[in-house]
Amino acid sequence: MGKVILTVDDSASMRQMVKFTLSDAGYTVIEASDGQDALQKLTRPVNLVITDLNMPRLDGIGLIRSLRANPAHKGVPIIMLTTESQESRKLEGKAAGATGWIVKPFTMQQILAVVKRMVG
Amino acid sequence: MIDRFKEGFQEEARELLGELEAALLELDQKRDAPEIVGRAFRALHTIKGSGAMFGFDDVAAFAHNFEAVFDRLRKGELAATTDLINLSLAAGDQIKTMLDAASGRGPADPARAAQILAGLEGLAGSPIAPSSSPGAHAGASAAPGAVVAWRIHFRPGPDVILNGTNPLLLFRELRELGPLEVQLDASHVPPLGEIDPERCYLAWSLLLRTAAGRVAIRDVFIFIEDECEIRVEPASGELPAAAVLPASLAPAQLPKAARDSGGMAAAGAAGVASSIRVSAEKLDQLVNLVGELVTVQARLSAVSARRDDPDIQSISEEIDRLTSELRENSMSIRMLPLRNTFERFRRLVHDLGMELHKQVDLVIEGASTELDKTVIDQLNDPLVHLIRNSMDHGIETPEARRAAGKPATATIRLCAQHSGAQVLIRVSDDGRGLDAAAVRARAVEQGLIDPSAQLSESALFSLILAPGFSTAKKVTDVSGRGVGMDVVRRSVETLRGSIEISSQPGAGFSVTLRLPLTLAIIDGLLVRVGEAYFVLPLAHSLECVELTRQDIHDSHGNHLANVRGETIPYIRLSEHFVIERPPPEHEQIMVVDTEEGHYGLVVDEVLGNHQTVIKNLGRLFRDVPMVSGATILGNGTVALILDPHRVVHNVVQLISERRRSDKPRRQARPAGPPVNHDQFKQRKNSIDVTER
Repeated sequence: MGKVILTVDDSASMRQMVKFTLSDAGYTVIEASDGQDALQKLTRPVNLVITDLNMPRLDGIGLIRSLRANPAHKGVPIIMLTTESQESRKLEGKAAGATGWIVKPFTMQQILAVVKRMVG
Repeated sequence: MIDRFKEGFQEEARELLGELEAALLELDQKRDAPEIVGRAFRALHTIKGSGAMFGFDDVAAFAHNFEAVFDRLRKGELAATTDLINLSLAAGDQIKTMLDAASGRGPADPARAAQILAGLEGLAGSPIAPSSSPGAHAGASAAPGAVVAWRIHFRPGPDVILNGTNPLLLFRELRELGPLEVQLDASHVPPLGEIDPERCYLAWSLLLRTAAGRVAIRDVFIFIEDECEIRVEPASGELPAAAVLPASLAPAQLPKAARDSGGMAAAGAAGVASSIRVSAEKLDQLVNLVGELVTVQARLSAVSARRDDPDIQSISEEIDRLTSELRENSMSIRMLPLRNTFERFRRLVHDLGMELHKQVDLVIEGASTELDKTVIDQLNDPLVHLIRNSMDHGIETPEARRAAGKPATATIRLCAQHSGAQVLIRVSDDGRGLDAAAVRARAVEQGLIDPSAQLSESALFSLILAPGFSTAKKVTDVSGRGVGMDVVRRSVETLRGSIEISSQPGAGFSVTLRLPLTLAIIDGLLVRVGEAYFVLPLAHSLECVELTRQDIHDSHGNHLANVRGETIPYIRLSEHFVIERPPPEHEQIMVVDTEEGHYGLVVDEVLGNHQTVIKNLGRLFRDVPMVSGATILGNGTVALILDPHRVVHNVVQLISERRRSDKPRRQARPAGPPVNHDQFKQRKNSIDVTER
């Protein structure tokens, strides 16, 4: 059973790109369109969560907080996707318990390197 | 393959532009609606982020500047004017043109883009943040050099694993850079009983031989460097060649970067030579050490006072002076103004006002008041809770306010002020206030008080601090989900603070948090009762007079003394704490200032000033409210630190309870059943002297 990664983004093209890159590297990828959707799809533990920050319904920060407060998921590595203009959001995400971040735009190699650092 | 994604992005971007347009039009109808601005912002943000991902650089750059305007709109720095909305619609069209151009349908006009941006800039009144060249943190690596041996000291923060980082994977990544030797440092692992299995107590010393350079090594730790202690040094002891430093560093920064093996300064400290960033953990360590020093210093002065040696005495005095300077210095380092914490609530108030359809002004006063960082950190949640409470339950709808003859816009005041060694933080509103009868009814319903109980208004109001208490008639999204004011009480009590509530029905509600300036050290007066020692906070102590036989005689058995014309009720600590001892020759009254007024605490002897390092009492004594901590005296004896306010409060309550009971007892029973001092004496060893 391969490692399972949840990618959360309201942009379908971003999700597609992340999924494509990671599936290619042998990971199983689940997609969710926002924080609420992610929480619903997390019926079992995953090895990594990659989340965008700005999303409708439940944003990335809210998702990170809910995950850290949930005993089933509180130690899961979480990568947030930020943009260079979001320094304060990045700090907020770190305070909420994010494990790491990737600054948009990023290349496929970059996301693979970070994922490897988080889940092996 | 990337072409497929590009198509996907084109499709999505057009959808987002539609969403943007819809939001803009809605905003035109309903100005100043943050959720609509938020929608527009999010759409732009996604266009920008994804655009850059899929190679639409012009779109990304344009959307970035456009987004900057909306960010300011979102923060309330700009108002949504007709001009702004029209220009934004044009900007949306421009992005569409750019997308068309990218898929080969007609050219985009860069001049038009510049014109729109200039227009937005003009409306914003100031230059929009320029698009900085975006770059990913991850995977950035320095140019390879010769193979160098690096010594890496790595001590992760205690929560590293909880936050999802696995140190093992970091080592594996380092190993890809070159051969790695790992040495474990388990010296900080506590005894088994104190281990929290979710925390990390380990540290490592690593030896890495690599050509990759310092930047690549530090890059492995980039996500956790703020919480961890990481030192990367050349193992041979020589400074690394300048070549391994990032080429972007200005020459002026080089010496600093080379000096700072932590490397943090290299990232963003340009031009701020007058201050350095230190991790809070190091400050805590410093304060702890100063605390220990103060204790040792107290022992030294005790010893030097016993010996009649002027040499030792002068050294002791010198150290005394230095210690107190050092103490004040290290305390002031940790002090931060409340401004940031307070200002953040503007957004909360604004958002909640929108959500609840209430008009509220937030007035902030005393934002420059400084407070210990550890206190500030723990203050946010209680304040959020109080403000939500006010917004939701306290403040009426504009219609109801007008009907009650009040201005439609309500005011919430958030103010801070110093009061001795304490800071008062007050959250007040001019809403409907607390309904004493409703509080009472609810308290009876919940079995908190007896239906026949007679309670003062302030005692009644303090009932809303009880767990699960809520007078809200319905549960709302904002507050009133059963998470009541007890959360506030608990956090404030953790900070050794207290809460006062006052309210006038129909006119407003105010909660005052009384918090200590710092949690580590207080200035106190050492007093003795029998063989027991107590410390009274100096900030509350007004004066010290002798309790004369005449006083006792004059007051006819009432505990009242005349201090310079003022009649002061006093409390005998020996009675209150049931300390048995032969009656002393003299007694002294320490006059203390409490919220209940001036009171005297009668002790056998006042020994003098005592700078006190507060040690927490063990878990057993957590619920003893009158004692705020303990300290160790020069001779090794433990002295309890009293909270005069709580002592007086406790006694006043006991007395009023006794008065209320039908059979007033003539013989005053020893007033202090809750605390038996002998208990403390016997359990002295269990006092937890290791402060957390």
